[in-house]
Amino acid sequence: MRFFKNVFSQLHTFVLWALMSAIFWGWIFTLVTDAPPAKKITVYCYVPEIRDTELAVRLEEDKPDGIKMIQVHNFEYLLFNSGAVEFGDILILPASRIGEYEELLLPGVEGVKIYDAASRSGAAAAYLGYTEEDYYLFLGAKSVHLEDGAARAVADSLLAAP
Amino acid sequence: MTDAPVELYTDADVRGLRRKIKGWTLALGLFSLLALGVCIALAALTTTGNAQRMELAAIAVSTVSGWIVLYCAIFTVGNARRELGHAGTLREGERERVEGRVRVTRRWLRIKKSITALAVDVETPEGVRSFWVSRSRAKRLSEAGPTALYICHGYVAAYEVTK
Repeated sequence: MRFFKNVFSQLHTFVLWALMSAIFWGWIFTLVTDAPPAKKITVYCYVPEIRDTELAVRLEEDKPDGIKMIQVHNFEYLLFNSGAVEFGDILILPASRIGEYEELLLPGVEGVKIYDAASRSGAAAAYLGYTEEDYYLFLGAKSVHLEDGAARAVADSLLAAP
Repeated sequence: MTDAPVELYTDADVRGLRRKIKGWTLALGLFSLLALGVCIALAALTTTGNAQRMELAAIAVSTVSGWIVLYCAIFTVGNARRELGHAGTLREGERERVEGRVRVTRRWLRIKKSITALAVDVETPEGVRSFWVSRSRAKRLSEAGPTALYICHGYVAAYEVTK
């Protein structure tokens, strides 16, 4: 009984500690699970459903030399970090959205069809929830991994994923 | 015939409180370091696939271990510190001898940043006078059946028993 009385008398302290703990370790893990642009490949997918962690793990299985991690994000992620997509290395977009994001795509390079709506078949379908339209994979215009070939290597892995 | 006054806080009590504070502080420090080590290990073992689970585990370990440390620091170590401060005041302060029928009541008082005390009523020829005794010493005082109290700043510091 005294234990509960003690806890309630200092409830604010215990709640504050829990909040501080969540914020601090959240920040630490944000640092741990991130890397400088030169060491990571970022993939942005415009799909309603995505198994981002599983896809990133799959792509990391044969990541190019010099790459520490691969991050996969849904475009919803941009609500919190709207400028990040500019530096995305790979973008997967539905046909209807290509015009909207044209300035982010590497000019002079055709997008590769990653999902065919007519045949309902495509790459990485186990990880990406495609809708009833064709999807294309593009390289990002401001990707820092165009010259070292890392972005193309990961794009090839993506296209080979089941 | 009365014995010499019996101190509520003897030298041994003060030494015991100091040992308790030291021991608990050391134990809590080691426990905190252990918890921090576990959290650092979780962060170090993080991969893309297990990042969310590791983060949740680190937050859980940090939160629960922090609650344990806070609880013990505030209530176990904190109470011992307050008791030690109270003992020092009673052992050094001026005293008044009050004789009469002593009764430890259930009325209690929690003094901010100090001890929790129970009221002690003394029936003197002039009427009933009330004082306070630390909750941790109330049982000892009650069982002794004192006939006189030594009061310091309104608190019972020592007592006498008539044989």
